[in-house]
Amino acid sequence: MKKYMLKRILFSIFSLLVVIMVVMFLVYTCIQRSVIFQTDDVWNKKSANDRVIYEYIQYQKYGYVDYVDYQSFLANKYTALYGNEYTSNADYIADKKAIQKADSFQSNQSVQEFNAQYSGKGYSVKYLQPITFKSGKVKPGGSGYLIAVHDRPVYLRLIDYLKGLFTVETTHDVEDPELTERYVRFEKDPYSGLFAIVGSGTTHKYQLYFDGRFPFIHQNWIHLNLGTSYTTYRGIEITEVMGNPTGEMKTVRTQYPNQLGTDEYAETAIDFHSLRYNTGMVSDVEKTQFPDKYTVYSYNRSGLSIIETSFVIGLVATIIQYLLGVPLGIWMARHKDGIGDQIGNAYIIFVIAVPSLAYIFILAALGTSLFNLPYKFANAQVKILAYILPTISLALPAVGGLMKWTRRYMIDQMNSDYVKFARSQGLSEREIYNIHISRNAIIPLVHSVPANILFCLTGALMTERVYGVPGVGGLLINAINAHDNSVIVACTVFYTVLSIVAIILGDVLLAAYDPRIKLSGEGGGGR
Amino acid sequence: MTEQNKPMNDDRFVLIGNDAIASEKIIAPRYSYWKSVARVFFRKKINVFLIIAFVLILLASFVVPIFCPYDMMENVTDATTFNLSPKEAMAKFGKNAPPLKWILGSGVQGNSIFYGIFSSARTSLLLAMACAAINMLIGIIVGAIWGYSKKFDAVMLVIYNIVANVPYLLLISVLVYIIGSGFGSFIFALTVTGWLGISYFLRTQVMIIRDREYSLASRCLGTPINRVISKNILPYLTSVIVTLLATELPGYISYEVYLSFIGIGLSANIPSLGRMISQAQSAFRTFPWEFWPPVIVASLVTIILYLLGQNLADATDPRTHM
Repeated sequence: MKKYMLKRILFSIFSLLVVIMVVMFLVYTCIQRSVIFQTDDVWNKKSANDRVIYEYIQYQKYGYVDYVDYQSFLANKYTALYGNEYTSNADYIADKKAIQKADSFQSNQSVQEFNAQYSGKGYSVKYLQPITFKSGKVKPGGSGYLIAVHDRPVYLRLIDYLKGLFTVETTHDVEDPELTERYVRFEKDPYSGLFAIVGSGTTHKYQLYFDGRFPFIHQNWIHLNLGTSYTTYRGIEITEVMGNPTGEMKTVRTQYPNQLGTDEYAETAIDFHSLRYNTGMVSDVEKTQFPDKYTVYSYNRSGLSIIETSFVIGLVATIIQYLLGVPLGIWMARHKDGIGDQIGNAYIIFVIAVPSLAYIFILAALGTSLFNLPYKFANAQVKILAYILPTISLALPAVGGLMKWTRRYMIDQMNSDYVKFARSQGLSEREIYNIHISRNAIIPLVHSVPANILFCLTGALMTERVYGVPGVGGLLINAINAHDNSVIVACTVFYTVLSIVAIILGDVLLAAYDPRIKLSGEGGGGR
Repeated sequence: MTEQNKPMNDDRFVLIGNDAIASEKIIAPRYSYWKSVARVFFRKKINVFLIIAFVLILLASFVVPIFCPYDMMENVTDATTFNLSPKEAMAKFGKNAPPLKWILGSGVQGNSIFYGIFSSARTSLLLAMACAAINMLIGIIVGAIWGYSKKFDAVMLVIYNIVANVPYLLLISVLVYIIGSGFGSFIFALTVTGWLGISYFLRTQVMIIRDREYSLASRCLGTPINRVISKNILPYLTSVIVTLLATELPGYISYEVYLSFIGIGLSANIPSLGRMISQAQSAFRTFPWEFWPPVIVASLVTIILYLLGQNLADATDPRTHM
C-alpha cells in the first residue's frame, strides 16, 4: 500500500512537471512576445531605442530572456574598484560615454570586456546605434545602448520556477550588521494570548501564530511563490492575490509593541502578526512604536480573500448538492416511472441540455424579481444576501447531475440478488431502498466527493462573472486575455495539484468506504 | 383407457425421410438490427414530434438566412436604431422593412434580433455538428485501438494524464491566438484535444468487451485485429456511441455560448448564439428582448438534440428490441 502510494505520488509529480512544461511552451513559445505591449501605456510613450530597451526589460520580467545592460555591467565593475562613489570617476564616465559613438565604441576596453564576457556565456551582444538628427543632436529616446540578451529555454525556465517555488525563512535572511541577536524561539503572543514562534533575523517576526481568522493557525516560515503577476495584478504574487483579505480596513483597539504592558491603547488596523523586517530607514514615529526594526506591516481587512469567497460559495453549494441530490435520486429510483420521477427527469434533462449561462440568468431573473434578492455582488446592501443567488446557481444544476447518477446506480442495483433476498426476508421497501440499495449505489459517487470539495477552491467562472462575485474563477481567463504568463503558469500548477490530490483522495476514500476495493494489486480481487 | 393401453405398433408411424433443404433453414423471424431500432424508436410518439421539430429547426436555420440575410452592421452608423424594443423597432422600420424583420426589436448595434437568431443558430448548429463529427470519428478510432492494445494503452494513459491537466481554456485561447478565430480554425481549436475524452471513455468500454468469451473465441480462430474491432466490438458499442453523440452535440452549442461569454469566441464578424447572448447579457434586465430570444433558441435546440439523442440511444440498445 505504501509502495503503491509512493509510486502514484511520484508519477503525479512527473506529470505535473510535464504539464508545467507544456503550459510554459504554450504561453512562452507559441504566443508572440510582443502581445504583452498591446495594452501597455508606457510602451506607447517610449520611442526608438528606449522602446527597444523597455521591451527587453519587460521580456526579462516576463521570463522570456536573460538581459544585461552595459550600464549595469559598468556599475558592477566600478563599484568593485572604487566603492559607492564610482559615478564621479573619470574612467567610468569615459566608458559610459563610449557607446554613444557608433564608429569608435569597439575600441573601448570596457566594451571589449563586456563583449568577451557575455559572448562567452552564450549571450548575443546587441548594439543599438544612437539615432541622431543631422545636427548630431540625439533624437528623443535615441541614445545608444549596448546590451547582451540570451533567450531562456523552457527547461531552464522550469528549473528556475521550481527553485523559486518554496522559500524557507532562516535567521540569516536579514543582512543587517546592526542586528545582533538572531534566534527562533517560543514566546507568549500578546495579541492572541497563546504562544507563538517568534524569530529575529527572519523576514517575518512571527513564524507561527494563532489568531481569530480561519484557519486560526498561521505560519510565515515556508513561503510558497507560484509566480508574480505582471499585468492583471501588477507586481503582486499570485498566492497573495488569492489569499490576502480584501475589503475595508478593520480598525481595532490594540497596542503597538512598545505600548504592551502599559495601559496606552491605539485604534489601528495594523495586523501586528504580519510584521516584517525593515531593510530601509526606520522613521522616528516608528521608533517610538516598535522596539526593533520589524516595522513593515499589512492591515487587518474586514472582507474575505477572493479564494475564501469562492470557497464559501462553492462549499455551501456542494453541501446542498449532496443533501438534496442523493435523497432525491433514491426517491426517484424508488418511485420509478411515477409522476415525481418524470418531473425529476425533466429537470435533469433541462439542467444537462440547456446552456449553463441560460439557467444562471433565468435564476438571476427569478431571484431578483420574485424574492428581491441582490443581483450584483457589489451593490448588495446586506452582504450575506449577495451570496444566496450565486450559491443557488451553482447548487441547482449540480443537484440535477447528482440526482441523475444516483438514480442510475440505484436502478442498476434494484434487480440484484441481495435485494430479492432482502425482500423475501420481509424487509420493508423503505429499509431496502434507504439502507441496502443506497449503500451500494453510492459507491461510485464517493470517488468524486473530494474533487467536488477541492474544486470549490478554483471558483466558478460563469457564476462569478454574472453576479460580479470577487472570486478566483476569473483568474486564469483574465490572465490569458492579458497575457500574464506567470499567472497562467501559477493557475495551471494550482489546478493540476488540486486535481491530482482530489483523485488520490477519492481513491483512498473509495477504498475506505468499500472494503472490497483494494488500491494496490496485492490481495483482494484486483487483476 | 382404451387408446392408451394399446400396445405400440410400428405401423402407426410413417417414415418421411430427411428434408435436406428444410434443415438448412433457421425457422425464426428475420431480424434486422436497424429495422428494430426504427421500430422501437417510432413506438414513442414524442420521437416523431422531436424529429419534426429538429427538421424544422434545421430548415429554419439553413434556409431562412438565404432569403433573410443578416447584416450585423447594417445600422451601425445610426445610433437611434440601437436597443429598440420590438414596439419601437416596428414603429421605426415597420413600413419599409420586410414584415417580420423587426418583430423582436433591435440589438446593441441596431441589428435585427429576428434575423440574427436564424443566422446565429446556423453557425452554432454547424459548429456543433462539425466538432461532434470530428471528435466522434477520431475518438472512436483511437478509443477502439486504445482499449484493445495494451502497449498503446500504456502510452496513451501518460498522454491523457498530461493533456487532461493542461487547462482546456488555455489551449483553446492559445490556438485561437495562433491560427485565428475564423470558423475553421475555431473548430480545429475545439477538436484538437476534444476527442481525447471520448477516446478515454470508449477505451474502458472496449476493455470490458475485449475479454468477453465470444471475442476471445474469435481471436483464437485467428481473426485479424481490425476485424475483431470493427465486427466484434464496435457494433456492441452502438448505443454507447449514440449516447455520447447525444451529449456531444448540445454540449458544443453550450460550450460555444460559454466561450463567447468569457471572450474567447468566434471572430466578431460571424454571428453566433453565444455572441448574441454575451453581447446582451450585461443589459439583460434593461433590454430583455435582446437577451431572451437567443437564450430560448439555444435552450430549445439543445434540449431537442439531447432528447432525440437519448431516445435514439435507447432504441439502439438491443435489449429494448424484445
